[in-house]
Amino acid sequence: MPKLGDLPRGAVGGASTIIVVLLLIISGNSSALVNGLVFGSFYGLVALGLVLIYKSSGVFNFAQGEFGTVAVYTLWILLERGVPYLLAILAGIVAAIAFGLLTERLVIRPLFDAPRVILLVATAGVALLAIGLEFWIGGALLRQVRPISGELGRISPFGVNVSDQQLILIAALLILGGILAYFFNRTNLGLAIIGASQEPTATELVGISVKRLSSFTWVLAALLGAVAGILSVPIGGSFGPGYLTVGSSGALIPGFTAAVLGGMTSMPGAFVGGAIVGVAESFALRQSALAFIPGPDKVMIFLILLLVLALRPQGLLGKSA
Amino acid sequence: MIKRAVSDATEEISVSQVVDPIPQEGHQAPSDDFRPGAKGWLARAAAGVPLAALVLLFPLTQLDFVLTKYTRGITYAIIALSLNVLIGYTGQISLGHQAFVGIGAFTSAYMVSVAGQEFPIAVLSAMAVGAVQALILGLVALRVRGLYFALLTLAYGLLAEASLFKIPALTGGAAGQPAPKPPGFDTSHRYYYLCLALLGVVLWVDHRMMATKGGRALLALRENPRVASTFGINVKAFTLFAFAVSGVFAGLGGALYAHNESQVTSVLFNFQLALLFILMTVVGGLRSRTGVVIGGVFFALIGYLIEEIPHLPVIGTVLKFLVGILGWLFVDTLGLPELRIEVAELVIGPILLLLTLTQFPGGIGQQLRPFIQWFAGRPFDIHDRGAKEVQITDVRA
Repeated sequence: MPKLGDLPRGAVGGASTIIVVLLLIISGNSSALVNGLVFGSFYGLVALGLVLIYKSSGVFNFAQGEFGTVAVYTLWILLERGVPYLLAILAGIVAAIAFGLLTERLVIRPLFDAPRVILLVATAGVALLAIGLEFWIGGALLRQVRPISGELGRISPFGVNVSDQQLILIAALLILGGILAYFFNRTNLGLAIIGASQEPTATELVGISVKRLSSFTWVLAALLGAVAGILSVPIGGSFGPGYLTVGSSGALIPGFTAAVLGGMTSMPGAFVGGAIVGVAESFALRQSALAFIPGPDKVMIFLILLLVLALRPQGLLGKSA
Repeated sequence: MIKRAVSDATEEISVSQVVDPIPQEGHQAPSDDFRPGAKGWLARAAAGVPLAALVLLFPLTQLDFVLTKYTRGITYAIIALSLNVLIGYTGQISLGHQAFVGIGAFTSAYMVSVAGQEFPIAVLSAMAVGAVQALILGLVALRVRGLYFALLTLAYGLLAEASLFKIPALTGGAAGQPAPKPPGFDTSHRYYYLCLALLGVVLWVDHRMMATKGGRALLALRENPRVASTFGINVKAFTLFAFAVSGVFAGLGGALYAHNESQVTSVLFNFQLALLFILMTVVGGLRSRTGVVIGGVFFALIGYLIEEIPHLPVIGTVLKFLVGILGWLFVDTLGLPELRIEVAELVIGPILLLLTLTQFPGGIGQQLRPFIQWFAGRPFDIHDRGAKEVQITDVRA
């Protein structure tokens, strides 16, 4: 019998998706499926940002969640002062991008040649710093942001209401994913980034500045984080310091699990991984047989991560090293 | 002066040897035959006595609630030493160390308050649980290294926070588990000295471990597991050994922490705490025992220091003036909220970490190295920064 790690990636990806969907339909858990897909697209957005940074700089970016939280805080401050929603969203994205650029300039670039594990600790430090600043600005209280549209049940597949805000979130993931796929496969800049991640020296030799590309990918990742934060915050209800990084709303670990599940370097993998993690998590939450375990969703995420790393470290869609 | 007397030809060389204080690359460690004279030992004692008095006698003059903070500093130092074994000696990063410490704390509290065991048995079982947990994690670490291992420990910390610490039988629910101080050490002062003694034991164990074959094997492993195994080092056994030692330290630190607080609740052991543990170990200086202990104590006391320093003479006045200017700039002019102490803690720590990583990778330990070496009976050399740059090795991820 072939080992799980040796099977072709298409087969494993397809088979696991089919198994998950079948299990859910058989067990009558269509609400877990729908809700899971909504959360899955949120995790997918975070995972996409993580994959982007990992592909270009080989860094596990623990500050990815905080890019989103910084945007959420900017959005909240401006909405409190009566600024129109769209303008507030734009300002939130700009704030996140500024934060991403600062991170790249002040932390990542000085550590360009440092071991990757040092960079991981550094990004965790950036996340902690951002959480501290959020405590300073907003205090420890939980805050709320109103949704873009209050409509709650325009469509309801399997009898589960899907609100407009959730639809916007899913649409954002699909649109951004499409743009990124086009960008990385068809444009010169996108191909240059891929090149720089694979052969930095050769890329410099053909006259492309690897450092400038590095700033650009951090801007892109910050933008993805900002979109994930801004669109998800009205769905979750409330947010506090470290909204996307820590606590029950934290998307960083599910996002990482999704990215690892997808293969860490594969963007379609981040989508699939996000969907699987979201569905598995909401399945665990709704399963009465698992009710004796406290926090079943977090246990599920840990198990997924452990199993993937133990059995198939290259993920479902990643290339074998 | 003597060298001036020799001929012109040699003068140039000898003067350059005497004057040039900047060490060349591959800075030579002073030879081992150096022994300080009577005056040298006297100077070391004169410097050491105030330091010893600060640690041993000064706490006697302090109130109970202040002493609880000092004791917390000692427990943090033990936890930092535990992380130092993992990050410094094996090169693996644990982002879920709050789970180890938390489980140690709850085990000890449970053994005393629910199972009705004696304090030594409770602490020993916390250490044993820590070792078992760490061994399991070590088995994982044999397969998964570097970035992925860090990620896995992070997920484990989250699992502990969301699931293990929500088991009411172990943690006593939202109210927390009471953890009384042991009989005989039931005042804050006595408990302080107990923890101090145990910190001494931990330091001694760490020193013995690194001074023997096992320690050299670990360092070789961190540099390159393949080369190490070629030289006959048992990679699996030594990695597991290091993890077990780290787990025992973490369990001990957690247990002492629990009994110091008298009541442990699950909210204490969150993700920020795990990051704080990393902060204090890295800022303290990996592989430098003194640095790591200073880092642990500093980060445990940072809030207290921010509170107390303004009351000191001179330094306090200068600081108050600076804070006044900053307050005027940020609070009055820009309309930002006031920077309270618990917030300042959260902001200062990460800034120190980022500065350490980008500017002084050896942390406090490397900066203090000349003084530490001097105390240990070597000549004072202000440029001594250790054999080589301190860095976490590049593990292939």
